[in-house]
Amino acid sequence: MPQLTRSRTSSGIGLGTGLAIVLALLVVRVTAPEGVATALGDTLGDLITLAISVIIESLPFVFLGIVLSIAVQMWLPPDFLVRRLPKSPLFRRAVLSLTGILLPVCECGNVPLARGFISRGLTVADAMTFLLAAPILNPVTIITTYQAFGWNDGILISRILGGFLIANLVGWLFSKAPNPTQLLTRGFARACAIEAANPSTGNRLRRSVVLFAHETSAMLPALFVGSAIAGLIQVGVPRSLLIELGGNPIWSVFVLMLLAFIISICSNVDAFFVLSLGSAFSPGAVVAFLVFGPMIDIKMLAMLRTTFTTKTLAQVTLVVALATMVIGLAVNLLV
Amino acid sequence: MYKRLADRWRGIALSLLGIVATLWLAATGQLGLYIHPRYFVFTVVAAVLTAVIVIASFAILPSTEDDSEHDHDHEDEHDFLGTDEEAALSHSHKPPALRRAGTVLWSVSTTLIVAGAFVALILLPPQSLSTGDVQASDLNTTTLSSPLSDAGPELAGSDSQSFTVADWAGVLRQGADTQYLAGKTADVIGFVTPDSEDPENVFYIARYVVSCCAVDAQPVGVPVYQPGWQDAYPAESWVQIVGGFDENIASSSTAAIVLVPDSVTMVDEPSEPYLF
Repeated sequence: MPQLTRSRTSSGIGLGTGLAIVLALLVVRVTAPEGVATALGDTLGDLITLAISVIIESLPFVFLGIVLSIAVQMWLPPDFLVRRLPKSPLFRRAVLSLTGILLPVCECGNVPLARGFISRGLTVADAMTFLLAAPILNPVTIITTYQAFGWNDGILISRILGGFLIANLVGWLFSKAPNPTQLLTRGFARACAIEAANPSTGNRLRRSVVLFAHETSAMLPALFVGSAIAGLIQVGVPRSLLIELGGNPIWSVFVLMLLAFIISICSNVDAFFVLSLGSAFSPGAVVAFLVFGPMIDIKMLAMLRTTFTTKTLAQVTLVVALATMVIGLAVNLLV
Repeated sequence: MYKRLADRWRGIALSLLGIVATLWLAATGQLGLYIHPRYFVFTVVAAVLTAVIVIASFAILPSTEDDSEHDHDHEDEHDFLGTDEEAALSHSHKPPALRRAGTVLWSVSTTLIVAGAFVALILLPPQSLSTGDVQASDLNTTTLSSPLSDAGPELAGSDSQSFTVADWAGVLRQGADTQYLAGKTADVIGFVTPDSEDPENVFYIARYVVSCCAVDAQPVGVPVYQPGWQDAYPAESWVQIVGGFDENIASSSTAAIVLVPDSVTMVDEPSEPYLF
């Protein structure tokens, strides 16, 4: 009984502390001097504005992904997913690449979700396939791409097929890894092994909150640093230079992939953005932007680094980049 | 000790900073400085719901501090900065000095990220993208299309008075001539950017167009013919211009059609400086 009372008191103090911190942050925000911004100068001010815009844009999707990941890890039976997926690895990955239709989370939200999948027994190759395909093969992305381009130049079809093929290619390649655990960071692999050997027990709601704290501790530093780097490069590399290079049918593919990598824009709306570049770049370049960006960008790499080793990410980036370039150049050749 | 504390609380701290900043920006009508209005509702709802979990974590996490080894194993996991390596070090037989250096590096980077987020999201006032670095050559390098006007605006039958800088730039891009533009009056607000070819006589009235968030902002502009404009208003200042279109008589400027102002008024930067 005294322990229960102590626990309630501790929770009450914790709650009070949390609310006090929120209040303190609001007071700081309200009383912060307004003139500081002008002292920063244009470049630093723009860097901060760009980084904040990526953070505020991505944060809800990351939270949503973490909540879905918690649902998968804490609230679904352990073998719920594995039991329902096809036994054949090839078909399983094909089905997983279409899971985005049911879970239309943006690419940054897919990272915590993929971590949840791995924790729940899916292979690294399965999770990788889902991770790469879901941002493209989801209804929101497909509808916005259709709104932007319709059926013009085969851009929509190339995006859908390209996303599916590349995700499954990467999944197939990594399914050949002799020791898939080595593709993961040591810490994450270790946590998964412990979870599998000794599943967490106790109050599920409480464990969900602990997992939320754990996942945000892994994801958000990556998101914040990735956003800052995206802002930094955006300020440092003039877009006019990229656009100048965009006239060439070969360079244009490479340049728009680079632009997608830098600006780290959300896959749900990237079609609207690249639509405005449509006249300056070839259709193949637009396809390359729409296929490469949702799979690999600065912000995503920072977040993926929480789960996969640097070597794995370098290999994934290389395969995705090469495959995207082939698709982009093929579209330019055919259209 | 510090590492364990930071491991457990840094995600909550960063979440809190993001949530407070988001809700503050929404409450003060400044969310549009960073993201497209189509995301306002989703962003605010997600922030409010997550705030409940974050506040709940203040009640729950302290009582889990002394939990099982299992939880500590999770804490030791990793992050993208290399806590993975640090965690590996802590479980390996590396020299203690190297292990300590790893812990210090990890602690410093975590502190810097949280402090940087606090400064950027809470301490510094919200601000729009600067207009100083926009060059006339950067303007209209794209098709200026937007989801709502991907074919460009139609003048016939439209109320051209309500056209924005982006709309007029779209009309000019489509090759509208003076005959087509005869009798049409533009009433637009934007910032001033000198023409790169004839900065004495021509400047651009410009705005950023945002399709998702500020990171994809693209400057668009309409050329304005007004000799000696620099004496009246400096570059980067915000102005409202009312006028019609005519052929450009400034020989060194490549703009074929220019806006010839009837009136130019200096105005404050709009509360929504971007066009969506």
